[in-house]
Order: sequence, then structure tokens, then C-alpha cells
Amino acid sequence: MHKPYIQRQRADWWLRNPAYRRYMLREATALPLFLYTLLLMSGLFQFTRGEAAFLQWLEMLRSPWLLALHGLALAAALFHAVTWIALVPKILVIDTDRLRVSPAAVKLAHQVGAVVCNAGLLLLAVLLLRAAAGN
Amino acid sequence: MTETVTVRVQRYRPEEDTAPWEQSFEVPYSEDLSILDALNQIKDQQDPTLSHRWSCRMAICGSCGVMVNNEPKLSCKTFLRDYREQAAVTVRALDNFPIERDLVSDISGFIDHLETVQPWLIRSEEQPVSAGAYPQTPEQMQRYAAFSQCINCGLCYAACPQFGRDPAFLGPGALALAQRYNLDSRDEGAAQRMQWLNAGEGVWSCTFVGYCSEVCPKDVDPAAAINRGKVASDINYAVNLLNILRGKDDA
Amino acid sequence: MDVRQADIVIVGGGGAGLRAAIAAAEANPQLDILLLSKVYPMRSHTVAAEGGCAGVIQPHDSLDAHFDDTVSGGDWLCDQDVVDYFVRHATEENLRLEHWGCPWSRKPDGSINVRAFGGMKIERTWFAADKSGFHILHTLFQTSLKYPSIRRCDEYFCTDLLLEGGACAGIQAIDMRTGSHTLIAASAVILATGGAARVYRYNTNGGIVTGDGMALAYRQGVPLRDMEFVQYHPTGLPGSGILITEAARGEGGVLTNRDGYRYLQDYGLGPETPLGEPKNKHMELGPRDRLSQAFWHEAQAGRALATSRGEAVNLDLRHLGEARINERLPFIRDLARTYVNVDAVHEPIPVRPTAHYTMGGIQTDRYTATALSGLFAAGECASVGLHGANRLGSNSLAELSVFGRVAGEQAAARASQGPSVDPQRLLARAQDNAAVWEALRESTGNERLATIRDEMARAMEDGAGIFRLPGQMRQTCTKVAELKDRYSDLGLVDRSRAFNTEWLNAIELGYLLDVAEAMAHAALARQESRGSHQRPEDFPQRDDAQFLKHSLVYRAADAPRLDWQDVVITRSQPAERHYGAAGQQENKS
Ligand SMILES: Cc1cc2nc3c(=O)[nH]c(=O)nc-3n(C[C@H](O)[C@H](O)[C@H](O)COP(=O)(O)OP(=O)(O)OC[C@H]3O[C@@H](n4cnc5c(N)ncnc54)[C@H](O)[C@@H]3O)c2cc1C
Ligand code: SF4
Ligand code: FES
Repeated sequence: MHKPYIQRQRADWWLRNPAYRRYMLREATALPLFLYTLLLMSGLFQFTRGEAAFLQWLEMLRSPWLLALHGLALAAALFHAVTWIALVPKILVIDTDRLRVSPAAVKLAHQVGAVVCNAGLLLLAVLLLRAAAGN
Repeated sequence: MTETVTVRVQRYRPEEDTAPWEQSFEVPYSEDLSILDALNQIKDQQDPTLSHRWSCRMAICGSCGVMVNNEPKLSCKTFLRDYREQAAVTVRALDNFPIERDLVSDISGFIDHLETVQPWLIRSEEQPVSAGAYPQTPEQMQRYAAFSQCINCGLCYAACPQFGRDPAFLGPGALALAQRYNLDSRDEGAAQRMQWLNAGEGVWSCTFVGYCSEVCPKDVDPAAAINRGKVASDINYAVNLLNILRGKDDA
Repeated sequence: MDVRQADIVIVGGGGAGLRAAIAAAEANPQLDILLLSKVYPMRSHTVAAEGGCAGVIQPHDSLDAHFDDTVSGGDWLCDQDVVDYFVRHATEENLRLEHWGCPWSRKPDGSINVRAFGGMKIERTWFAADKSGFHILHTLFQTSLKYPSIRRCDEYFCTDLLLEGGACAGIQAIDMRTGSHTLIAASAVILATGGAARVYRYNTNGGIVTGDGMALAYRQGVPLRDMEFVQYHPTGLPGSGILITEAARGEGGVLTNRDGYRYLQDYGLGPETPLGEPKNKHMELGPRDRLSQAFWHEAQAGRALATSRGEAVNLDLRHLGEARINERLPFIRDLARTYVNVDAVHEPIPVRPTAHYTMGGIQTDRYTATALSGLFAAGECASVGLHGANRLGSNSLAELSVFGRVAGEQAAARASQGPSVDPQRLLARAQDNAAVWEALRESTGNERLATIRDEMARAMEDGAGIFRLPGQMRQTCTKVAELKDRYSDLGLVDRSRAFNTEWLNAIELGYLLDVAEAMAHAALARQESRGSHQRPEDFPQRDDAQFLKHSLVYRAADAPRLDWQDVVITRSQPAERHYGAAGQQENKS
């Protein structure tokens, strides 16, 4: 007789082990980012409806709830970026007979890249704001 | 009186039981006692009907994987001394595999996955043995060394929620083995194995939980192997696309 | 009864069995090859071999030198035609493994690296760090997957050989998942079931190494040869017996007693070699039998260390430094840390001799054929005549490939010509056998499995250990006979069929007792000291006049029957075995 017992994955599998909870936390960073995207989209929508609507939207952004969302989204994005970049050297391994880049250098390149991109965006925003103020 | 430890062991006897249950044993404690020693002692002294797999008792044959307090472990490399603070040690069959009996898992699915990825050296041209060894420098060997350390114990499969959800997922051990050959300077089979990496059950089923690498007793780091497979799969996709665009769709 | 058929059945998925399967598949791709094993092949105990695998490769080495080391290491009890064939093919087999992907350690220029090993005059041990057997086994298993004609029966436990018209015509096995009996008819059967050191209490072997194949053949009247020769490995961990490879000494590790003194110089292995400069065939690189015997004397003289796990001496690797230990001996560092809580970089590892290897086994000719036609044997379960009275480390892994291949080719030749066997003709016999095993599963006697097993292991240690004293040897023979008797009154608790390991362990115990009996009686009959067989009290000398012969043990009703077979000597006449300075003298002369 052959009657193996089939173990089914429990719905709460991700609660049962710290490693899974850490993983779920990482995955969960998508949530505040998703809400933040919705917020931006709604801004864009209000913008198309005219100045008054957009100003009202801007006003709404001052609510403590939405400030908190911004903080949360920033924290989530940072957490995700930092942990992701920490893993990159294991995944992006450049080690062939012709070309070898040390894991530390791969990591540094990603860190520098992230900083440069973010600084660039910030700069762009500042420039745009200036231009807008100039008008 | 000698100190004893409570070991709770999962039992499942297919001829009598419909579901697993738990049985408690008291085992005399000693510094050197591994979980495997404890199980053997229970079998010898207390209940000969307990079934579990083991052989080498030196963490190299890969037989003895079980869940110890909900973590996948080699029972021969896990010691009671590390659980002294806990009230009891619970030993179960590995998660995600069917249970054959007691602590014996049905790992045939995992073995099939190993066979799928063509884990042998593939050459377009075989050299005769008389021509001597294929050269390989220590640096070249280093590139696949970690992925060649896998003892097929299946702990990473017990740790993988994706495999738990879908047993067709080739899983950490098999995909690490594919990478072991792909990264070997003597091998020319990466293109053939790409079909398995790219398949629905291949690397893209992995969501990078990463627990497989944490539990691996041989530091194989299968999560890294799989995610390097994703990079390879991306490159392969890009190259194919480029070839198609250039009208060379023989790829 | 599940009835099947194949052209070739191979029992055992270790190095020898896998190599045989591949050789047979390559020899004739039309053949249906069935590889049957009681564990998944990569669990086989070949996986535990650490040190390496012999094969002449350096320009200043020669086949003759490998031949001489093997023959003198075996105390002239090797069949020299077999040794000749072996040394000529070992390197080619190592290269074949390399072509299949085995990650042999390399020199910086990408060529094969070799290390020193005990009893070998020149470095010729190929290694894959300190996991040579692991890499060989996984390479062979993975390569075997390439051949569609190799089918596997994993976790099938062989219980009987089946005969028809005086020839071996198949086997019978229990499917461990269901506990059902399976008959497999085949025109050729290869036994590759490994060693039997589990008859001893402290040993380096896995729980599955229980001499099954030896007993299976023995029960069909096939003689076991040279069973008295059991190698003790000088460096196992006290308590568990887990092996610390000889490569630890090959890399420069030294042995010291409780006074920190390198005691081997007192046992004809000196002069003391400088630290970090190991010298082939000197001191720590003397042959295993001599080193184990030296430990015994040190312990007798009270110069061993007392540890919580029993008496030991120190294996000191500290002077090698962390980098070299990590590169060459990473597994050893890990094992010492896990099992005796010692970091080899900072502390010496306590070690003691433990039972390790059975030089003897199923008698075969140089083509791996046994006395029973249709039955072949290779690997540690066989006695092809290579190791004589003492095996040199790293010769046995090479043996798996060299003679595994021969066995596969011989079986393929037989299966290609021979008419196939009709399984129905074996059925009645198989059903009778199955009834016996079923009775065992249901047995209600008074004896406990674990008790008999432990008493056997202790008796073997006492009367068939490193040194064999006449009274104890006789006691051991009596004890084994008594245990066999008590075995027939065994009582089992587990009545189930699915993965009933109590039942399977009971069958294994039956095998172990047969092997123990053959060992104990052969030891008593060999009235001399040679290689690993030492009788310091009654027969301290080698006696070529009477015992330059292989012992043969046949199963018989009461006690086993002993016979003798001539050793094949082609070009090396027996001489004294010299190591250390004395060996060097001899080389000059
Ligand atoms: C710890 C250790 C270290 C060693 N190191 C070295 C070294 O460095 N160099 C060297 O040359 N040698 C070494 N040796 C010796 C060498 O490893 C062994 O002699 C060799 O691996 C035996 O291989 P094998 O194929 O004959 O048997 P194994 O690898 O033991 O395989 C036996 C097979 O038979 C199967 N089997 C057994 N009984 C049954 C049954 N009843 N039914 C079905 N299947 C069965 C098993 O499942 C297994 O698959 C070492 C040995 C040990 C124990
Ligand atoms: S990758 Fe690690 S955990 Fe997974 S099977 Fe291999 S050795 Fe075990
Ligand atoms: S018994 Fe071999 S790995 Fe644990």
C-alpha cells in the first residue's frame, strides 16, 4: 500500500517563520508606493480639471495623513533600495576570463547610480520650480 | 538523575493513520547528542516503529533532513544543546514534500527536477581521454565551486514557499545544479539548459524569498544561483530579440 | 509479487555500481540496465570519502612505482596481475571522471594537482579538496542520467540472489515504500554493495554499510576471500568514529601523544620529519596499519590523552595556517568544529583509530567474475585481489572506476550473448524467499535487534580488532555463533510494510552476522601476522611458507569452512616492509 500524506501549504505560511515575515515586509513595501502612485495620478487628474482643482489638491496634501503617507513611502522606497542593492553583488556577478569586477565594486556602482539618479531628479525638480517661479 | 530532554516527533503511519500526529519522548541529554542520535536512541530503546532516514552521520550524504522546531535542518548536524532553552524540541518531516511515513519524505519530485536540468557536462566535441585533462585554472573552478557543493538534501525545497505552492517549480537545488554546469569553463551546454531556466517552472517562478540560502547546510546559496539565472535569461532574451530584429531569427 | 525483467541488474548505486552501469550502457546501448539501491545513489557511502583517488600522473612517477607501493603496502598478498592492470588503468579512469565534470583540484596553470598519501612513495593522489568521494559520486550519478538505457530502482532493498540452472539469473528486492516483494530476472547481476565496517562499534562507515552483498553471495555458496583483513584508520574522531582524512597528514599534519611528542618515530617510522615538511612513507605518512598499531601501544603505555569521548592522540594542523586549511581541508575544519567542538586552526584535533575498510570480500577473478556464473562483483564488496593484507589510501576510489568499468563491460558481454531468463521460472523460489522475510516481519521472539547488534559490534572489536589475541579471537567466534543462534529468536515490534526500517535493519543484521562470522573464522585460521592482521602473542611474524595465500571462507551448516588460494606473483617477490629511514636504505641498495 502506498498512501503518502500530502502536506498543503497553509494560508498563514508567511506568518510562521521570521525569514518569511522579513520577506513579506519587503514585498509589502510595494503597498505605500502603490498608494503614493494613486495620489500622484489623482494630482495629475485634478491638474487637467483646471487651476482651482489642482490648488485644492495641493492644499489637501498638507493633511497629516498624507504627510505620513509620504514619509512611509519614502521609508519603504529606501528600505527596498538598500536591501536590494545589498543583494545585487550576488546576482550580478561579473567574473569571466576577460572581465572581472569585484562584488564590492558592483555594489558601489549601484549605490553611486542610485545616488546620482536621485540627485539628478532633485536637481531637475529644483530647476523646474525655478523656471516656474521665473515666469 | 540524568537530565532529559523532551523530543516531540511527528508520526504518520500510512496503514493506520489518516493524518500526522505527535508523540513525545524523553531522551537523556548529553553535550554531543545530535537530533539524529536522539532519534536513533528512541528507535533503539523506546519505539522501534519510528522511521527516519540517515546514513553518513557526518553531513555529507544528504539523507537526514527534517524540520526541527519549524526550521529545515540536517538532523545529524543539529544538536540538542542548541535547544536547551526551549521546553521541547519538535521534529517533523520536511515541509512541502509528501510524507511517506513518520519523518520519511517522498523526495522523488525533487530528484526528477534534478534530472530535468541536464546536469552533466555537455560538449560540442568530446575530446578523447588520451588527450588529457581539460585545463581549468583554480579561478575558473572558483566560479562554480559553491554550486557544486549541493548534497541534494532538499532542505531548500522545504524552505521554499513557491515550491510549496507549486511542486512543478524546479526549485533551488535543481536550478543551482544547472548553474553549476553552466558556469563550468569546460561545459558548453548553457544554451540547451536555457529552455529549463526559461520555462514557466524555471527561474521566473522564484520571487526571491531567499530562505533557501539561509537553510542550506553547505553554503550553496541557491537563491543567488537562481537569480543569476534570471540575469542569464534576460541576456538570452535580449540577444534573441536583437537577432530577430536583425533578421537572424535562427536563435 | 511484482515481476520484472532486465538484461543487467546492478545492486548498489555507489561509485562502483554507477561506473558499471555507465560502462554497460556504453558497451551496448540496446541493453536494458537496472540500477537498484537501498538508498538514492548519491547517499551511497562513496560520498564520505575525503582524501583522494590514486593514478600516476607526474613525470617523475611511474606505473612500476605505483605497483611496488601497492604490493608492498599489501604485504605481498596482492594478486600482481590485478595490480598491474589496475595501475595501468587508474589514471585513464581519473581523466574520464574529469571529462565528465569531476572538479579535481588544480595547479595554478590549470593542470591536475596531486597530493601525498600514506604508503605512496610519490604524490599520485588526485583530490577534489577534501570531498573527493562526494565529487566523484555526484559526477557519476549526474553523468548516468545521460543514458536512457539506465533505469533506476531507488530505495529497493535486495534480499536474495536468484539462481537458475546453477547460474545467477536475477535478484529479489523489497520496495521500501510499500514493503512489497519484487523479482527481477536478468542474465547478468553485478553486486556493488560496498563494505561492512558496521560490524564494528567505532567505525567511519555510514549506517547503510552492512555487508549486504557479501552475505548475499556467501549464502549462495560463493566464497568470501581475505575477510580477516580489516583496516583501522588511524585518525577517526573519538566517540563517533567520523573520519579525519589521511590528507590532513598528507598536507603536513602531525600526530602527538599526551606529552606533545611525535611518537611515531619510536615505531620504525622515523627519523622525525621537520614540521610542515611531510615526507612520503615516513612518520605520519607511514601505512595505516602501522599507525593504528602505534596508537595501541601508546595507549597501553598510558601516553594517550584521556578525553570525555575516550582515549585519543592529537592531530595537529595548526602550523598549516588558516588559509591552507581552508583551501585544502575545509570539510575537516567543519567536521572537527561540529562533532568535537575544536577549531583545527587554533587547536589540535583529538583522533583515534576506527574500523574503516574491508580489504576482503566476494572472491572474483581479475575480470570481476565470481565463482557463480552470471554474478559479478566490484568495489569494496569484492575481493579482486588488489589490496592484499592492507589497502593503501586512495587506491580504493580508483578501484571503483577501474573495476566498476570491467564489471559493466563483462556483464554487458554476457547479457548481449546470453539468452534472456524467463522470470516465471524464478517465481516459486522467490515466493518461498518472500515467505521467510514475511515471517521475520511478523516475528515474536524474545531477542531485541539493538542488543544483538551492539553485542556483535563489541565482540568484533575485542577479538578481531587492531591486535588479535588468541583467547579473545576464539571467544569472538563463539560469541558470533551464539548471536546467530539468538538472531533466530528475534522479536520485532513493527508489523507495517511502508518504510518499515525495523524490518530492514533486521535483515541487515542477518547480513552483518554472516560477515562477522567469516571475518572471525578467517582471522583465527590465519596463524601469522601480516598487514592489518596482527597476532602479537601467538604468531607475531609473517609466515610466507604457509600463509602467502588468500583465505577463502565458505558458508557451511555449523561453522564456516576454510580454504586457501594461491596468490598471483609475477615480478615482486615477498620482502620485508620498510618505512622511514629503513625504507630509504633499502631504496638505495
Ligand atoms: C569515511 C571514508 C573515507 C574514505 N576515503 C577514501 C579515500 O580518500 N580514498 C579512497 O581511495 N578510498 C576511501 N574510502 C574507501 C572508499 O570510499 C570505499 O571503499 C568506496 O567508496 C566504496 O564504494 P562502493 O561503490 O563499493 O560502495 P558504496 O559507495 O558503499 O555503495 C554501496 C551501494 O550499495 C547499495 N546497497 C548495499 N546493500 C544493498 C542492498 N541490500 N540492496 C540494495 N542496495 C544495496 C547502497 O545503497 C549503495 O548504493 C573511504 C571510506 C570511508 C568510509
Ligand atoms: S542547495 Fe543546499 S539546501 Fe538545497 S539541496 Fe543542495 S545542499 Fe541541500
Ligand atoms: S546522515 Fe548523512 S547528511 Fe545527515
